[in-house]
Amino acid sequence: MTLVLAVSNVRANRMGVAASFAAVLLAVTLVAGGGLVVAAAGARDELNDVMGLLVLSAVVSGFVSVFVVAGTLSLHVLRQRRTWGLLRSVGMTPRQVRRLVTVEALVVAVLASAAGCVLAVPYAVLMAGFVRLTGLAPAGVPVRVTPGPFIVALVVGLVVTLLAARVAARKAVRVGPLEVLRDSAAQRRLLPWPRAVAGVVALGGGGALVFLVPRVEPVAAVPTGLGATMALCVGASALGPVVLRGIGWLLGAVVAGLDPGAGMLARASLVAQPRRAMSAASPVMLTVALACTFLFAVTTSDVAAGVTRTGASVWAAPTLVGSAVIYTVISVLNATAMTMTERAEELRLLRTVGTAPRQLTRAVVWETLIVTAVGVLVGTGIAAACLTALGQAATGRPWFAYSLPQYAGLVLVCAVSGLAGGLAATRRARRGPLLHGR
Amino acid sequence: MGDVPDGRQAARSGTLSIMNDHAVLLEEVTRTYGKGATEVAALRQVSVGFARGSFTAVMGPSGSGKSSLLQCAAGLDRPDSGAVRVAGEDITRLGEKQLAVLRRDRVGVVFQAFNLVPSLTAWQNVVLPSRLARRRPDPARVRELLRRVGLEGREGHRPAQLSGGQQQRVAIARALLGRPEVLFADEPTGALDRATGHEVLRLLREAVGEFGQTVVMVTHDPEAAARADRVLFLTDGRIVDVLERPSAEQIGTRLGGRR
Repeated sequence: MTLVLAVSNVRANRMGVAASFAAVLLAVTLVAGGGLVVAAAGARDELNDVMGLLVLSAVVSGFVSVFVVAGTLSLHVLRQRRTWGLLRSVGMTPRQVRRLVTVEALVVAVLASAAGCVLAVPYAVLMAGFVRLTGLAPAGVPVRVTPGPFIVALVVGLVVTLLAARVAARKAVRVGPLEVLRDSAAQRRLLPWPRAVAGVVALGGGGALVFLVPRVEPVAAVPTGLGATMALCVGASALGPVVLRGIGWLLGAVVAGLDPGAGMLARASLVAQPRRAMSAASPVMLTVALACTFLFAVTTSDVAAGVTRTGASVWAAPTLVGSAVIYTVISVLNATAMTMTERAEELRLLRTVGTAPRQLTRAVVWETLIVTAVGVLVGTGIAAACLTALGQAATGRPWFAYSLPQYAGLVLVCAVSGLAGGLAATRRARRGPLLHGR
Repeated sequence: MGDVPDGRQAARSGTLSIMNDHAVLLEEVTRTYGKGATEVAALRQVSVGFARGSFTAVMGPSGSGKSSLLQCAAGLDRPDSGAVRVAGEDITRLGEKQLAVLRRDRVGVVFQAFNLVPSLTAWQNVVLPSRLARRRPDPARVRELLRRVGLEGREGHRPAQLSGGQQQRVAIARALLGRPEVLFADEPTGALDRATGHEVLRLLREAVGEFGQTVVMVTHDPEAAARADRVLFLTDGRIVDVLERPSAEQIGTRLGGRR
């Protein structure tokens, strides 16, 4: 019976399943592939110089993978709250619901991890090629297939997927079935205690690391700085809904002034459901914070050391962090699409009370832009804090170098992928037949 | 056959039925769902007019086409052939944008459930169509409407904080704020208990009596239908009978006779 339900659930939630599958697949590819490159470089003495950068980029990929897989799975399970409530109201026990979630997550994790392992090899070869082209390792990195990276990747793929799904399922079934069916989602506490505590602890830890950056040995400064960025990202993501409600309220007021109808809808949705919006803002924040820290840490140390990169070597740092950025950008698209799919019924209702197609499009666009802006603002803040500390470590002054085109490009990519996800996911609801399923 | 109900009404009321007496007029409306072997005709050349300031109930077994009639008349669905005139204008030819303006300004719809945008408060839900039209509704009138539907002091509540009946009443207030040509209600009491349902019906009746609002309501409940001036009976996509000011017993007998 559980199997039948799992299958029908997958059918009903193709979007979420596809997003989860993509997240796990890419995570495993990224981690296993990055691991293969690091392992190959580790075998060669002449690559010791670039080893640090390669390891750092692999760690960034790993962190991003865990973050995105956990976020996507949790969003996927929590989105189906109504289904879980319905199943429980017809007599399914919380235990059975959890088992159902686990079965589905396990199937997705196994299939996606297997596919990811297969893709990891060509990905590693490609990365090695880029590393050679940009002059980081002129002799090239000979990639050989070793089991180590795959084991690490499978742990990320399977364990993180299952854990995230189970934690989300536990959360979903803790609420009584009737409460869920009554759609009291808006009433859930904005910031439950455990989340608030975890957020504050992570922020505190991140702050401590920022403080330590100029005080540790120079070799350890960049890893400490990236660690600070990651910890601050975790903290900001946990406390994010509060920030998002605040900024959403403010930016929403501006937008509602410019575009009364559509702006009011965008603003109301952000203020009423900041947690939902935060699941789309988190990957933006992560992209901006990590990519900026990584890229501009390299720029800053170059400037401090008086190095000017020319030709292909300009692309060394962007290449190393590139796949992690592509991954988070895909997850921006995923998360926006998932949060917007949930809204199909609401969008149709808006049409029945006379919202014009273009107004509906604008409401989706405004909301996505505000969410992206929140992610960018928080991410930039985190990166700026860590980079200032790194600059202090390198030169003794609170300062850092940055590249405006690279930054603008990052922000643009985040905004475009958010808009693409949001608009694509709502297309049917905005333009399709109004009487869906009647 | 098609214009029988209209003709009867004109004959009984003794007035000549001209187009502008009707808030909504359906002419030979046909709506078919599916294709080929699975084709189902929901409406077969239905012609009917809804006079200004009248309260009409539409009844019939499930699958008789009563919801299709409402959806076509409200511009939510497009008939395959025939014309739907709202205040004389054929809405079947309107584009999506013009339809949006129609739904916003000239037609109000209240469904059985899920009428309100979850993220908006009761007040915001009521003023939503005006805001979409970039109009600023008179706050005094909004307050008065919300008071009339019994939601004084609940203006700032979100739908999740309101009962089913309260949500229906917010939807009615929203529909009435724009003074639409016609208010359509699809099983407005279907998800409510008796007492709450009566309250909603009383509001619809008052809207007709006091504001001269035209109301068309689809229902399967004879008691609800008995609050209307006129009851249309649909079977297999055709209007098969019309009762003027019937009692609940008459309606029950009429329905029983068909079964």
